[in-house]
Amino acid sequence: MNLKLATFILLIAGLLVVCGPMWAHHGNSAYDEEHWITLSGTVTEFVWSNPHCQIFLDVKDDKGTVVNWAIESQSPGILRRNNWIRTSVKAGDQITITLAPAKNGAPVGFSGNQLGKVVFADGHVLKMDIR
Amino acid sequence: MALLFLPHNRPLHSQQFNQTFTAIRKRLKVQSRPHCLLKYVLAFSAAALAFSTVARSQTAPQQAGSKPASSPAPKHDLSGVWQVEGDIGAAPIAPDKDIPPMTPWAKARFDAEKPGYGARGAPGGNDPILQCDPIGFPRIMLMPTPQEFVQAPGRVLQFWEREHEWRPIWTDGRPLPEDPDPAWYGYAIGHWEGDYTLVVESTGFNDKTWLSPTGYPHSDQMRITERYTREDHDTIAYDITITDPVAYTKPIVTPHRIMKLRPGVEIPESPCVWSQENEFTQRIRNPATPKPAK
Repeated sequence: MNLKLATFILLIAGLLVVCGPMWAHHGNSAYDEEHWITLSGTVTEFVWSNPHCQIFLDVKDDKGTVVNWAIESQSPGILRRNNWIRTSVKAGDQITITLAPAKNGAPVGFSGNQLGKVVFADGHVLKMDIR
Repeated sequence: MALLFLPHNRPLHSQQFNQTFTAIRKRLKVQSRPHCLLKYVLAFSAAALAFSTVARSQTAPQQAGSKPASSPAPKHDLSGVWQVEGDIGAAPIAPDKDIPPMTPWAKARFDAEKPGYGARGAPGGNDPILQCDPIGFPRIMLMPTPQEFVQAPGRVLQFWEREHEWRPIWTDGRPLPEDPDPAWYGYAIGHWEGDYTLVVESTGFNDKTWLSPTGYPHSDQMRITERYTREDHDTIAYDITITDPVAYTKPIVTPHRIMKLRPGVEIPESPCVWSQENEFTQRIRNPATPKPAK
């Protein structure tokens, strides 16, 4: 019993310590930022525009059906400060992207903060940020 | 909410915490037997406490003022590109508990707001910036993107990357105009208090903007006082007080915030382009918005 109580207290203490900073990020209410996912596919379009750059990506689902995902990111100014340029992603590129999917199940996602990144076929990585 | 900062001035939340959390969560999923669960709960707690200790040891020097001292601030000079600390892009102008009671006029407007952020946040909504209405002042001060002060005779110019927007702060001794045209960014005058604090008074706002991404209206009678104190070469501390008796029964005092100098950073063109924003809404924002129940 005492062990259970101690476990409970430690768990709560751990949650209090960790969760403050982690949950400070939220605000994109359309997206499930508790469950980031990784998708691999072929880029169909990279939109470099204000205030949101966008990546469109063909991804095969479990049944082999190709679904075109629409992924929101940050402005060109922010991405440039994080080593992106307007040709960083091109149609036809094979990439793996980390994103928070839409809560409503649509093939839409957000990859515009420190948790977002793109891994290219040659292994190089470009990260997202908000600054 | 407390944010922890690493020495390079980025919030400590995000990837490091998420990686730790995800790794532990994965292990919990594959090891679900009760005695294993206990083990991982204990490990989780210990890891959290250890991580926190490390984080605080990294943060402590800044808070204790023992960080290598920045060079002294130049007098009467805010020049440079600056960036607010912390992830405040979705922040309220002040915590809900610190917003004074609203007048019935403001309450009706508040109830009509459907923000995308905060306790009332939901997809879709009617935030004016979704159609590229100007963010306006003081909300633009919540943007995590850089801003630049440029000083010229008789004025300080304040440029914001977000929206590619700017305003003059007149420091030539002129008074505030008595009947200014309502404007998104108001009409601002400033004067120096001591060597390091620029005090800005502004009026002449329209009532079309929200005070923050979480909403909160204001009237065209809003007056704002800002204090920008250059604490050292690399740091400006600022405070904003919003007085609007048409909307609030007392002034709104925003949290004390810090911006840091960003040497070498240029402010690129970043307007909100309505045609592009509209296309974004069609291709991403609308599909991600739940359909109303029929």
